[in-house]
Amino acid sequence: MSVKTLHIDGKMVTGLAGQTIFSVAWDNGIRIPRLCHVGGLSDVGACRLCLVEIEGQRKLQAACMTPVEEGMVVRTNTERLRAHRKLIIELLFAERNHVCSVCVMNGNCELQDLAAELGVDHVRLRYQFPKLSVDTSHDRFGIDHNRCVLCTRCVRICDEVEGAHTWDVSGRGASSQVITDLGTPWGASDTCTNCGKCVQVCPTGALFEKGKAVSEMKKSRGFLKYIVTARQKGEWVR
Amino acid sequence: MVDVARFFMEFCMDESCGKCIPCRAGTVQMHEILHRITQGEASMEDIDLLEQLAALLKEASLCGLGQTAPNPVLSTLQYFRDEYEAHIREGRCPAGHCRLAGAKEVRR
Repeated sequence: MSVKTLHIDGKMVTGLAGQTIFSVAWDNGIRIPRLCHVGGLSDVGACRLCLVEIEGQRKLQAACMTPVEEGMVVRTNTERLRAHRKLIIELLFAERNHVCSVCVMNGNCELQDLAAELGVDHVRLRYQFPKLSVDTSHDRFGIDHNRCVLCTRCVRICDEVEGAHTWDVSGRGASSQVITDLGTPWGASDTCTNCGKCVQVCPTGALFEKGKAVSEMKKSRGFLKYIVTARQKGEWVR
Repeated sequence: MVDVARFFMEFCMDESCGKCIPCRAGTVQMHEILHRITQGEASMEDIDLLEQLAALLKEASLCGLGQTAPNPVLSTLQYFRDEYEAHIREGRCPAGHCRLAGAKEVRR
């Protein structure tokens, strides 16, 4: 497999052909903000937070979708990109009801961390305050659509890793929502295997374990890694 | 012209698929600001915000719908900026189209 050499933020790095800019940057200690990308799952390039500037290209490219090429010069943290990322986070906060002070994920939330990292201390946009439902029909888990950022991590992990494809997106535009099966309550879903991967992969407090109070929910990446690699390593006996 | 821009933004807002954030949430916010301008409830800062949102949608959206959604706003801002400012500063619609809250005495 051929090796590609490129510059990211002035640093000379190497990656394999077919690797994305995001993963090469990650391997070399360069953190690019992201919300929809999770290692091990397919990428959708939907959150637009990992947009980078590539020299010689007019358009911004999503780092998680763009394969590395020989001699590329990539910039991941310019003034323009920071302004865009900040506004994207503000859009997310204004879109639904992300009230950190009463959220189960307060303190452990990826959206909150990104806001802090990018310096979003207030939202200039008008809050939409949509009236969205909370589904707690499942025995162990719940979903609060008010906290959902529609990153579709749950949809992808359920389809690609668990193979159940319980989750999907219904509707369009601002009224789109993640649903279980064909819009049936989660507890009544025929396909859900109760594995809980979707809960662990959710970046915000949208998917949570029941019985967790404010700030008590913590998502475990270790659990996810185990789930993804255990079968290959033979740690799962079946 | 502000209302024309608002009309096209409403169209893009309805047509957005919702996959990427700039288009899904950005068109909603741009429509909201344009609606406020036509109602005479906006401030001059809203024009700055509108321009920043337009740049974000143009450069960061995933597909052509989001990338072209701010075009009517950008071109009306370029050629009819005085109409936007008349709505905000004077509470007046030069085209006589918008029913502004502060314009009752003027229209009579």
